[in-house]
Amino acid sequence: MPTQELGGKQVEVDEDGFIQTPEEWTEAVAADLAKTEGVAEMGEDHWKLVNYIRDYYQKFGIAPMVRKLCKETGFKLKYIYELFPSGPAKGACKVAGLPKPTGCV
Amino acid sequence: MQVTERSHKAQKVIDRLQKKLNRQMVLSLAGCVHCGMCTDSCHYVLANPDDPTYAPAYKADQIRKLFKRHVDWTGRVFPWWVKAKSVYSDEDLEELKDIVFGKCTNCRRCTLNCPMGVDFATANRMARGLLVSVGVMPEGVAVVSKDQWEIGNQMGVLKEEYLETLEWMDDELQDELGVRHSLIPVDKKGAEIMYTINPREIKYDPRTIADAAKVFTLAGVDWTMPSEGWDMTNFGLFSGDDDLGGTVAKRVYEKAAELGVKRVVISECGHGYRSTRCEGPNWGGVNIGFEMESAVITMLRYIKEGKIKVDRDRNSVPVTFHDSCNNARSCGLYEEPRELIHLVCTDFREMYPNRAENYCCTGGGGAMSMSEYTPRRLKSARIKADQLRATGAKIVITSCHNCVDGLSDLIKHYNLDMEVTQLVNLVANAVVIPEKIEVMEKPAAVVHTLKGFRILVIDDEPETRTYLSTVLEDNAADTIQATDGLEGIEIARKEQPDLITLDISMPQMDGGEVFARLREDPATRGIPVCIVTGKPELRKLIYDKPYRPPEGYLDKPVEEETLVRNMRKILELASGASKEAAETL
Repeated sequence: MPTQELGGKQVEVDEDGFIQTPEEWTEAVAADLAKTEGVAEMGEDHWKLVNYIRDYYQKFGIAPMVRKLCKETGFKLKYIYELFPSGPAKGACKVAGLPKPTGCV
Repeated sequence: MQVTERSHKAQKVIDRLQKKLNRQMVLSLAGCVHCGMCTDSCHYVLANPDDPTYAPAYKADQIRKLFKRHVDWTGRVFPWWVKAKSVYSDEDLEELKDIVFGKCTNCRRCTLNCPMGVDFATANRMARGLLVSVGVMPEGVAVVSKDQWEIGNQMGVLKEEYLETLEWMDDELQDELGVRHSLIPVDKKGAEIMYTINPREIKYDPRTIADAAKVFTLAGVDWTMPSEGWDMTNFGLFSGDDDLGGTVAKRVYEKAAELGVKRVVISECGHGYRSTRCEGPNWGGVNIGFEMESAVITMLRYIKEGKIKVDRDRNSVPVTFHDSCNNARSCGLYEEPRELIHLVCTDFREMYPNRAENYCCTGGGGAMSMSEYTPRRLKSARIKADQLRATGAKIVITSCHNCVDGLSDLIKHYNLDMEVTQLVNLVANAVVIPEKIEVMEKPAAVVHTLKGFRILVIDDEPETRTYLSTVLEDNAADTIQATDGLEGIEIARKEQPDLITLDISMPQMDGGEVFARLREDPATRGIPVCIVTGKPELRKLIYDKPYRPPEGYLDKPVEEETLVRNMRKILELASGASKEAAETL
């Protein structure tokens, strides 16, 4: 399994760059992951989204539907794609420290 | 003969190989003359010119050697001459896995270049199926297959989440079009079209659903989305597991038959289109009584027939088109998307090679769900990246969800200045919204509870009557019970209930006759009827009759949630359509 320098430490990632151990996640790790997904700087709304995804994942063990994201954060779908250009699955979930979503994504 | 111990799994693979062989497969396994024509047709080879293990003929030989050793007479007589070999250990199987899952996307481009007609991808899929049958497969394939078996869709989306997302898209579309009634009908019986999608749309990016709904609405067609059987993707195609393939495809077919639609429209997804339209009936061993088509063809027809008007000037950024392997090479769908692009875009630039000769997006064959092979995938994607770059386009269109992700990945990896989109997005952007929007479905009130509705339960079994009535009353409905058909007809006439549940198998007068009399009598003709029966074989008593079909049909035993949801749906639809219904038999 490859490693990558994220947030000032070596973190194990899969071949698609998703971190392997959720415990390794810190805000600094997230900020570096964001850079790999075209987000130069994490703003307040980025964090709101990422934190919601993390909480949901810790509770239910899966990534939330985008419907839930929009409902709980109050963001429009279009805005989520503005925040994370690579989308909720590959962008936001990766920054939130989730494993790669399964299936055709 | 040398006797070597074989692992349990390896033995199973050998045993099952025989059962997987049909004429096409035998031809592909026996027919190769190692001429090398296939070599340069493979994107993996082109990106790895120094590695012979990527050559299609080499990869095929790893499967072929088993066939030669255990089936073909040449290998049984002269194994050394025809390079016949067997598998013995679990490590041998792992090696085979690395080839059939990790070095081929089943794109079938080599097949086109084979003078002997060897279909390597089909043999590769067969080998995948053998490995999957003994549990040897990439984890991603296992996880997704499990979700498709157990939850009914490849992303584990629950029914309520699916329905809630549809409602959400419905609301968004209402805002956009400025109308105030439901635009995405669910489980509408007798609709002309049932629209099926890829779970990726519902889970992560439902904009394509809203766009499709916009096109259907403005075209004024009678369409619906199913509450179940909506996932037209099929990991059976990728894993080589025909049982999974058949089970998944049948969910779509059964729902379409239940709703009585004329046509199943498949959203833009290459493997879903191939699995549902082309392969599924064979895997499932079923005959299909309706048409199936890609949404590309549907949208093209609407424009040609003048059902929707489009303004191509709205899509003026230079575009190119990437043919999905499954759509183009396997299903012949390549002229229609181009025709549609010319109607909705102003600047189309062809990619070379194209159509059936196009190169794979590198995400095919389920590769997007196998992270362990991502570095290989991205390396081989150089071929596609060069192709894309040469077009000079800013947008690459593809009619496949897998390709959307495969292309997005390689665009990022090779720093191309490009976006990926699908035809439905471009059509929805180009479609002209008329001042007055006529919608097929009359405005339907949303029914949240059964409060205020009177439901007549006709059933001869006391337990069933009590059960149905109790559930309905627990959900705030008023119920009336009838113990046989004649009594039921009498009560229906006198009391004019909002809905009738009707058993079929009853003494004296069967449900078919009761149904006929209810439909013939102008006083009861408009009352919606939901059949609730434990004998599905008797359904011909209802459906063979020349009347408007019943509004609902449920099999006993019926679960509480199913019963209530169906009652709600029927009442919702009836509130908008009962007047018309009363006028038709």
